[in-house]
Amino acid sequence: MAKETNNLNNNLKKLSEISDWFDNREEVDVEEGLAKVKEAVVLIKESKERLKQIENEFEEIKKEVEAKDDGK
Amino acid sequence: MEIEKDKIYSVSEFITVVNADLKWMKARIVGEVGEAKAGPTGHMYFTLKDEKDGTMLNCIMWSSKYRLFGITLEPGKKIVAYGAPEIYAPNGRLSFIADTIELAGEGDIKKQYDELKNKLAKEGLFDLENKRAIPKYPHKIGVITSKQGAVIHDFLNNIGKFGFDIKMIDSRVEGQGAVEDLLESIKTFRKKDIDVLVIIRGGGSMESLMPFNNELLVREVVGFPVPVLVGIGHDKDVPLVAMAADRSESTPTAVANLLNESWEQALLLLERFERKIFASYGLIFEKYKTIENKFKISLQNFKNNILNIGANLDKQMESYFTGFILLCDKTREKLNGIEKVVNLNNPERNLKLGYSIASVGGKIVRKTSDTKIGQDVNIKVSDGIIVSEVKEIK
Repeated sequence: MAKETNNLNNNLKKLSEISDWFDNREEVDVEEGLAKVKEAVVLIKESKERLKQIENEFEEIKKEVEAKDDGK
Repeated sequence: MEIEKDKIYSVSEFITVVNADLKWMKARIVGEVGEAKAGPTGHMYFTLKDEKDGTMLNCIMWSSKYRLFGITLEPGKKIVAYGAPEIYAPNGRLSFIADTIELAGEGDIKKQYDELKNKLAKEGLFDLENKRAIPKYPHKIGVITSKQGAVIHDFLNNIGKFGFDIKMIDSRVEGQGAVEDLLESIKTFRKKDIDVLVIIRGGGSMESLMPFNNELLVREVVGFPVPVLVGIGHDKDVPLVAMAADRSESTPTAVANLLNESWEQALLLLERFERKIFASYGLIFEKYKTIENKFKISLQNFKNNILNIGANLDKQMESYFTGFILLCDKTREKLNGIEKVVNLNNPERNLKLGYSIASVGGKIVRKTSDTKIGQDVNIKVSDGIIVSEVKEIK
């Protein structure tokens, strides 16, 4: 879990760097840009999946907590 | 005893036979004392004279009996003697052997009573300071009275049910014969383990109460080892035994009540203590209830605190949940933002829109000066590269 959480953080970090790379570019390096885009697409996909996964886990925990509260 | 007609008796035998019959001739004889003389051993020899015709009767009273009655036999004193006749063998004279004597003249009775009273009073036998207290909570009680008559019934009917251990000695309480019985009863009780001695009889005339004016009896009562309680009904002159007793009441019922008194007081005390204890016990219950209520309130407060803490936790949890959802939303927004940036900067997207990239020798052509006429220019479009030649530069 910790590893996956870190991956999400790392992904976000990398994506930020890519975003910055695009913002600060002076020359268009199509090849590199394409490579960045490709990398970014993969990272975004992974990150979205992980986020979804985390949200699902969170919903499970929330349900559990609420079930305990109802049983008081 | 029958006399044998044919037998010749000796004097001694005959006197023995006569005396055997005479001893059954018990009688009470009234008369005036004529001569009276005490022998060397204390026996009293006296004559009783008939008031009317002066007939005389020789009488003897043995010292052991004489000293019981406290009556001084003097010429002219009118007495009643109780006894039986007997021929005195040494001199052959008929004598009346008196077992008891009592004064017969009313004046004499009163005089004897007053004299003895004064004498004993001088000795301090009636002094209040010598009286002993009737013990509190008496248990073992010696009673001297007659089984006959209502007195003992009155006493027993009125004595309370306090577990008394009552020992009774039946005694004559009237007539001079009573003195002997009373003295004997007291002597018996001296050896018994009792807390208090009770002597009771019903009311009567001074004459009938004379046994209770007996000096020996008075002295026995005063010297008795435990307190003596006397209940004798009387009119004017208090019997000397009653005066000598440690406590005197006028009826057997009053005596019973006196014996009951300390027990009844104890009962009252017990009842009072009981009430007090129950009242205190009730207070303890009250206190306990107060403590219990306080405890209940404390418990409720504690429960409320827990509920509050729980509610706070819920609230915090809620805020954690909300915060986490916000965090997720932000992350998603960030991802979307980055995705947009990436999409915008995707070169393939631009090529598809119709833009193309021209390059000469691997260098992107940004200005006209980057090319020369005749040079080959590679034009990259969305699906490939078009190689073209520069014909004109404008």
